[in-house]
Amino acid sequence: MSTEQGVAMNPLCPGRLAPAVTRRSFLQQSSLGIGWLAFAGLANRLAGVEARRPQSHFAPRAKHVIFLFMDGGVSHVDTFDPKPELTKRHGQPAQWRADELSQSVSANRKWLKNLWEYKQHGQSGLWVSDLLPHIAGVADELCVVRSMVGETPLHGAQSLLLHTGRSIGAAPSLGSWVSYGLGTENEQLPSYMLLNNDWVPNGGSQNFASSFLPATHQATPVRAKGRPVDNITPADPAALQRAKLDFLREQDTATAQARGGSDAIESAIKNYETAARMQSLVPSLCDVTGESPETLRLYGVDRANDFDKFYALQCLRARRMVEAGVRFIEITCPNTHGNNSPWDQHGDLRRRHEENARITDQPVAALIRDLKARGLLDETLILWAGEMGRTPHSSGTDGRDHHVSGYTIFMAGGGVRGGMTYGTTDEMGMSAVEHRVDIHDLHATVLHLLGMNHERLTFRFGGRDQRLTDVHGQVIEEILV
Amino acid sequence: MAQTQIVHANIQTVPPTAILFVLVTALGLAGSRAGAADGVPEAVFQKRLAWWCLQPVRPAGPPSVRQSAWCRTDLDRFILAGLEKASLQPAPEADARTLARRLSFALTGLPPKPEDVEKFAADKSPRALESLVDALLASPHFGERWARHWMDVVHYTDTHGYEWDAPAKHAWRYRDYLVRAFNADVPFKQLILEQLAGDLLSPRVDPRSGLNESLLGPMALRLGERRHGDNAAAEGVTQEAIANIIDTVSKGFLGTTVACAQCHDHKLDAVSQRDYYALAGIFMSTRWGVRCVDAVDANEAVIAELRRHKLALRVELSKLWLNSREPVLAKLATLPADEKASPAFPDSLASLWRQTLLRSTNGTALAAAWPKLREEFQREREKRVAANQTNLTLVADFTRAGMECGWRWDGSGMKHGLVRDGEPVVADEGDAALAQLLPAGRWSHVWSQRLAGAVRSPLFAPETAVTFSAGYAAGRHAARAFIVDQAFHSERLAFLNQPQPAWLTLTAGNFDKLAGGNDTSRARRVYLELATKSLNNYFPPRTGYGGLKESDVADERSWFGLTRIYQHAAGKPPQDELARFAPLLAADSAPETKEQLATRFADVLLAAITRWAEDRCDSEDVRLLNEALAAKWLPNEATNSTLAPLVAAYRATEKRLQPDRTIGSADDWNEARDERLSVRGAYTEFADAVPRGNIRLLGGAATRDLPGSSGRLELARSIASDANPLTARAFVNRVWLHLFGEGLVRTPDDFGHLGEKPVHPELLDHLAARFVAEGWSLKKLVRLMVTSATWRQSSAPSSAALTKDAENRLWHHYPQQRLDAESIRDALLTVSGRLDPALGGEPIDPYRTAQDAAKRLFSGPLDGLGRRSLYLKMTLMEPPKFLALFNQPIPKLTTGKRDVTNVPDQALALLNDPFVLAMAKHWGDRVLKDGAATPEVRAKAMFTTALGRPPRDEELSRLVKLASRSAELHGLAPDALMACGPVWHDVAHALFNVKEFIYVH
Repeated sequence: MSTEQGVAMNPLCPGRLAPAVTRRSFLQQSSLGIGWLAFAGLANRLAGVEARRPQSHFAPRAKHVIFLFMDGGVSHVDTFDPKPELTKRHGQPAQWRADELSQSVSANRKWLKNLWEYKQHGQSGLWVSDLLPHIAGVADELCVVRSMVGETPLHGAQSLLLHTGRSIGAAPSLGSWVSYGLGTENEQLPSYMLLNNDWVPNGGSQNFASSFLPATHQATPVRAKGRPVDNITPADPAALQRAKLDFLREQDTATAQARGGSDAIESAIKNYETAARMQSLVPSLCDVTGESPETLRLYGVDRANDFDKFYALQCLRARRMVEAGVRFIEITCPNTHGNNSPWDQHGDLRRRHEENARITDQPVAALIRDLKARGLLDETLILWAGEMGRTPHSSGTDGRDHHVSGYTIFMAGGGVRGGMTYGTTDEMGMSAVEHRVDIHDLHATVLHLLGMNHERLTFRFGGRDQRLTDVHGQVIEEILV
Repeated sequence: MAQTQIVHANIQTVPPTAILFVLVTALGLAGSRAGAADGVPEAVFQKRLAWWCLQPVRPAGPPSVRQSAWCRTDLDRFILAGLEKASLQPAPEADARTLARRLSFALTGLPPKPEDVEKFAADKSPRALESLVDALLASPHFGERWARHWMDVVHYTDTHGYEWDAPAKHAWRYRDYLVRAFNADVPFKQLILEQLAGDLLSPRVDPRSGLNESLLGPMALRLGERRHGDNAAAEGVTQEAIANIIDTVSKGFLGTTVACAQCHDHKLDAVSQRDYYALAGIFMSTRWGVRCVDAVDANEAVIAELRRHKLALRVELSKLWLNSREPVLAKLATLPADEKASPAFPDSLASLWRQTLLRSTNGTALAAAWPKLREEFQREREKRVAANQTNLTLVADFTRAGMECGWRWDGSGMKHGLVRDGEPVVADEGDAALAQLLPAGRWSHVWSQRLAGAVRSPLFAPETAVTFSAGYAAGRHAARAFIVDQAFHSERLAFLNQPQPAWLTLTAGNFDKLAGGNDTSRARRVYLELATKSLNNYFPPRTGYGGLKESDVADERSWFGLTRIYQHAAGKPPQDELARFAPLLAADSAPETKEQLATRFADVLLAAITRWAEDRCDSEDVRLLNEALAAKWLPNEATNSTLAPLVAAYRATEKRLQPDRTIGSADDWNEARDERLSVRGAYTEFADAVPRGNIRLLGGAATRDLPGSSGRLELARSIASDANPLTARAFVNRVWLHLFGEGLVRTPDDFGHLGEKPVHPELLDHLAARFVAEGWSLKKLVRLMVTSATWRQSSAPSSAALTKDAENRLWHHYPQQRLDAESIRDALLTVSGRLDPALGGEPIDPYRTAQDAAKRLFSGPLDGLGRRSLYLKMTLMEPPKFLALFNQPIPKLTTGKRDVTNVPDQALALLNDPFVLAMAKHWGDRVLKDGAATPEVRAKAMFTTALGRPPRDEELSRLVKLASRSAELHGLAPDALMACGPVWHDVAHALFNVKEFIYVH
């Protein structure tokens, strides 16, 4: 797998004819209408755009993705990548090679040991640190990738890279590509929902934007506290809104007819009926009061602290969205204090990593257990990832800096093998040395699990057939069931 | 850093494809090395130069047509010829009310006033439309509308996004500059020159504001996402910004894509990788500094007044201080002996006093102690003088004008800040009259801390570290920053808090080495900048940076100044030569008593006061007096009866100063260097340097005015040239697109092989030539287009035309268009009567459902104070949601043509968004006072206001029926309807949701 460190990833480049322009994709794009899923077509018609999307390329393993974004960067050596040698050399001066991309602004850095104890868990004997006891309890479901490699040890760049496959510029989000590629199973709901409780991570709302893909594929943000979705609560009582909608239908239909038919106006008229239905569907989807007390407790929706409670609520809602047919769901972590991003602990790492773990660990494990119990885990890919790891070395004793030359993420369900690790970093946890995986490989694998060939999921923009993976990406075959 | 070849290896493994085959054949590329990284063969390049848009504009006469009576302008003959050739008829002319609404939105972005529509509908003169057009062209809202169009091209933003959403330094002044320029119909050619190189032009002064418009232009290049930090910390930070600039300039002005050539020669167009680096050299040789844009000094009279107040104060203070012997002696008497001997020679009068007491057993053994002290002093003084003579090399002298030796200052504080030793600074608040006395130098706060100042160094020699010390003082978050490789937001920035003059010792040079990096061979461009807040590129920086509090951000005051800068070896900074103590220790004879000792100390201070009062003091006197002031040995109370009125007068006058108006702009110091070509775009793998200059398709490098200049002005002149084949075509096409919904070239940002060719190339050339001939006047061009018969066509196409030309490429009707995001919001404000039509000013935070103080994403009022959408703050991190919903583009890249989506979220917003509801309520409440007698009268007026036409009978009855139904649902008797707000809120709300409200026909 390639490493593109330091290479200009140029998103401004319409002249770069990617291999996406293959005869096959050309033919697919010429043969409009073949194989598009029923609703996806409707969604695109509603969006007033021409649908040009390939069908599923092969049998999918997963139908949904839940992306648990651990933004700020979880310390890999403190969670899933134990390093006895690091602990042995704790406090000794750290050295590293020039190509090991860490944030290295201070001199006199020293190795910092694994800060939590590691134990083996489950039948697989997977190593998980004591920081994440609940996730350790579902160790046999986890496919841990310890050899992730990024491009730049900066939050904004890495977050955009993880979300869009480009470290700068304006490319569509992974969720938008999935929505575009598969459409939704439920025409009343957006196919890409973002459970962010109003938090905007580094890189900005661009992380979730559809960019040049039709706007119907952009994320719909959902709030945990208060009204779940902007404008979703009817401003009027039902009868009054009905009166207005009736008036509008008559008035607009007459206008369209007087003009001899207008596609745009007719689409807009349909939008009003869809919007009216969304007003009741979305809130009921977000309403968990009908869930059993056991389920609420499993996720920790009953926890007292708002951060804990709302994160649990987001995880539970994610399951409900999977059941309702939403394709791609992303959950962000709350930022509990005036920090750049939740997991970004340059200092105070013990306390803040523990706080983040307290908030997320139980609900994430619950989500995996619950999906499994309901038979949904096989068709739902869980992706747990930050945009970076953290340095095995430190300028102090309780903080780690940005690190992208070797770090850890995990997946579960959705056609990946459980209870395994893939790839290794060196003995200090600095660099991925075996089975290096870059973000494009990860994206290619996610699309593959959803039944899409990343080289054939394209959209023509700026004079070329754009891909999520640009000109990169290889599916990680070894982790597939 | 390691890199692998990412593009071409893959391409070469791909079998030839249908599309590629066609292109390759068409361009004669077959068998060429098109995929190779090392360049396109010259013959192929020459062939590419034959592409249509690279040929000179050839204005052809309008073609002859059969139905010439239809034509109102030459433009129409080109269109009609195409239609006749296809045996199609143009659509009939739209009715007057439709045209009035269409014109109003097209020219001002606002709906027409109902009375203007009726006046136009009633005007039967043959020049009725022309009169309306002229009125709209003269409207100040014309400039707002067309500024917003251009803001899509330069991707206008008020903040830079990325991680902390740092402010784009006063970008709103550039937005207002555009509005003024389009309203004044400044030739677009001039605007091109200003946006690319306004800092290198002679000022174009706006008579009303006194602003140097030229200097506001270069903000165009700085907009969009910009990272904090610099190349030495994370290689690529500046290169990404430069790529974005090159992309914007080439697409925006030239309709050509050049940015892809960062990594390789363009695959199809006549743009090589060398072209990219020729441009990169220009922009990398540009300093992205903040500049003062006041062309006229508005403060001279106020400063003259301040000077009088200060002089009077100085006279009064001199009297008071000259009478201060007794209090000074009293203060000294209270100062006890030090407990321990200080290792270094004392540096203040007080510590010298206390050390002397210690050594003389509290003044009882002066006879023995005094000679020792004298000897020690003389030894120390000689040693220090000698060390300074050996170690120090004067680099820049700010005590005399013209001796800055290549360092430059900016800001009106600095302009009025060159002072002699002893210049007093009046405290702008608090209990003290004077804040301090200044040594000779250039100080930003001589008159006020609200005036701006900056001092910038020449580039440092890149290979070696240079250590130097600047005599300075600073406060209130003035800052110093090393700028490495033209970083926009350098985090080598430190706030300066040093009220009393001291030495600022810094080392500049090899920053990679300093950062512990590995690439020590890079020839980084490094300079030092000291700046007050308003001239600091990175103020406010990300929240919390350097301990900055948000209350410090709100405080507009800051200050600093410099005396002299000396270079020296590391560890050998300037030393205090102690000259101020020489008179004290000059006398051989020892004082006999503590009282005598005190008298000698007081004598020294009084002598300094005398020299100050006579305006002949030196910097050592200043030091003594500042010490005495700080220790409150001298009267300095603002409440003192003689001082109080003078201090009050000064402070009141100071408030009348107009702080410098500043903006992020550009600066060229004639220190340019060529950029090395980055192999495959890798930031650390280089080929040869490419001479900076123009791209080959525009004729290549031009002779530079000055050998060291960046070449930016020459580039600007080439782009703004009448002979440039691309510039006028690209701009004319954009204007056509804004008026007709699509361009003559439908890919407005790319006229190259990957774009579309025009269906009417002769018309495009005709318009481009006319545009140039008419002095690059936007208003003339718009007038020509909207008075044409083509533009006046109805938006209802015939079925024959739709069958033959479904995409309307022949322009057989005017295409129905949905309003853009800003116009939708502005129409809601206008129709409801909430619009505040004021022009310009600082941006208004958009309404948000959640705030993020860490990123300064604050929520503003729901209705944005009624201001037009143009004035909502474009926070790149989270742009205004209501506008984004209706396809306002994310301002990272040039958007020549906006998306127009049609999604349920838009319906939900118009049904339920609190802003829409607030506008409905505002309007519904207003109409209660309209004096209408019946629901029909009121409903009819509202319909007409919303849609620009009176309702047909069935439409009116439908609307009245809705009002009745609303009244019923609100539980009202039918006769209560006219006085019931909620009913009319509902009617207003329904009208906002009628599709026709957000479309123009």
